[in-house]
Amino acid sequence: KIKFFFPFSLDALPRVTCPNHPDAILVEDYRAGDMICPECGLVVGDRVIDVGSEWRTFSNDKATKDPSRVGDSQNPLLSDGDLSTMIGKGTGAASFDEFGNSKYQNRRTMSSSDRAMMNAFKEITTMADRINLPRNIVDRTNNLFKQVYEQKSLKGRANDAIASACLYIACRQEGVPRTFKEICAVSRISKKEIGRCFKLILKALETSVDLITTGDFMSRFCSNLCLPKQVQMAATHIARKAVELDLVPGRSPISVAAAAIYMASQASAEKRTQKEIGDIAGVADVTIRQSYRLIYPRAPDLFPTDFKFDTPVDKLPQL
Amino acid sequence: MDQNNSLPPYAQGLASPQGAMTPGIPIFSPMMPYGTGLTPQPIQNTNSLSLLEEQQRQQQQQAQQQAQQQAQQQQQQQAVAAVQQSTSQQAAPGASGQTPQLFHSQTLTTAPLPGTTPLYPSPVTPMTPITPATPASESSGIVPQLQNIVSTVNLGCKLDLKTIALRARNAEYNPKRFAAVIMRIREPRTTALIFSSGKMVCTGAKSEEQSRLAARKYARVVQKLGFPAKFLDFKIQNMVGSCDVKFPIRLEGLVLTHQQFSSYEPELFPGLIYRMIKPRIVLLIFVSGKVVLTGAKVRAEIYEAFENIYPILKGFRKTT
Repeated sequence: KIKFFFPFSLDALPRVTCPNHPDAILVEDYRAGDMICPECGLVVGDRVIDVGSEWRTFSNDKATKDPSRVGDSQNPLLSDGDLSTMIGKGTGAASFDEFGNSKYQNRRTMSSSDRAMMNAFKEITTMADRINLPRNIVDRTNNLFKQVYEQKSLKGRANDAIASACLYIACRQEGVPRTFKEICAVSRISKKEIGRCFKLILKALETSVDLITTGDFMSRFCSNLCLPKQVQMAATHIARKAVELDLVPGRSPISVAAAAIYMASQASAEKRTQKEIGDIAGVADVTIRQSYRLIYPRAPDLFPTDFKFDTPVDKLPQL
Repeated sequence: MDQNNSLPPYAQGLASPQGAMTPGIPIFSPMMPYGTGLTPQPIQNTNSLSLLEEQQRQQQQQAQQQAQQQAQQQQQQQAVAAVQQSTSQQAAPGASGQTPQLFHSQTLTTAPLPGTTPLYPSPVTPMTPITPATPASESSGIVPQLQNIVSTVNLGCKLDLKTIALRARNAEYNPKRFAAVIMRIREPRTTALIFSSGKMVCTGAKSEEQSRLAARKYARVVQKLGFPAKFLDFKIQNMVGSCDVKFPIRLEGLVLTHQQFSSYEPELFPGLIYRMIKPRIVLLIFVSGKVVLTGAKVRAEIYEAFENIYPILKGFRKTT
């Protein structure tokens, strides 16, 4: 059970203040539910209602009725408040109609106006769960979706497409971009549609995102290929140098990263084929081949100076 | 121009001491709406103005004052040129009725005026006799070539697509796939979509005149098949041009400074999509230096858009 202090007022309602010290911030004493002035010790408000979660625990699984006195935790940031009344299961004969069904069915339409939005949040959580995204990205996605939904400029688009695009944007904004193909893998929407919605959302929310770089994907791709840290660092170095020396103009950073991983892994003891890397990165192996051909001539300059070559540079495969 | 006093607040600190400016390069002055050549918002709105760009703006401002003096001289010359060319137009057998407001788009058959040096190669030459030579940002000397013109015309009568498809040559009609007859002619090489309402879309022409001529030919074909076809409301809907600035471009730098107008997603498309506000043109800019301009209704918009983007691209030239 979590209890927390509210050291400052969050809403505009007239809050209780100490009559002697109107500027003093009241401290909440949770044990007795009191608000105490720290300056003079006066108990200003008492019997304050606790908004924490249910603190009673029940080990009686056999009981059919749910003795919990509180509902779900409020989600005020997202839905428009969750204040709704639920009708409990009836006891006694009067609550059943002639067929044995209970009258006054429960939960008819709670928060009907945001039914689609709650559905989308559920979908976002499912998608994020498939690729193990942390909660902060999911929260950011939910916020983005809410903003887009309220704006109504993309109302005609499928909510799933908007949700997938919001997920993509949230990952970018948090500095851990996922490729469109990775988002496609966890969503039912096509890459084309996600790309379209992505551009529309950026326009609607008037934000922009940073350009992707090769380094953003190195740790993820290399871990999925089970490559050791030295190879990952070498690949990062190779990709960065290749872009700096402008050996790969116009190539997508993902393809350059994949080619760099291929070169680094081929020079080390942990060799990976182009097909394996292509599978992980979502890049065709001919694309890796093309980018590799562009960086191969300058291979000795691209490796970091302290790299231990298992296969020397001149014996790297030439495709 | 009223633009002189309205600088956006965040650009005021960056403006040159002389005050507000519109770094314009008036090139196509016959067409007043476009001739003032307002440089697009990008240059004013850049948050990270490089010294180079600021120098350019100051120089352009000085050049603008010079250009205004020249513009007065040009107007006198153009009046003479217009008279010369209108006489030559009557001599040239035009297959279609002339649309006076588009006279600048027709191929020039006259020799240039003595005293004006045509900077652009004929036959496809813009109307201006001379481009004002501004010191810092001289004109690029590159003319975008038109690649495609899309136009629509109303034939003014309901058509029976089945008879058209059966009797006309080079016509295909697959109502399950698309509800129009697709007809092609060889000269000018174009394709037309003919709908049962009588409206027609003509695509593939390389100039406005060719598009009009082709549309007339299609109307003639339909007329010969027995329909009372007319030629109403011919309008060019879209023009696509392309050119090459001949140097590689740093797209990452461009998207950083012109964020509000650019969209560069290498995962989605290898080129940068630049949506210019004035004129309303979309440019696809590639690393190799090739530029595609589209969305124009008149040729001058393409030229103006390219002249606007050229100094910006020069600022993002790859140095290696």
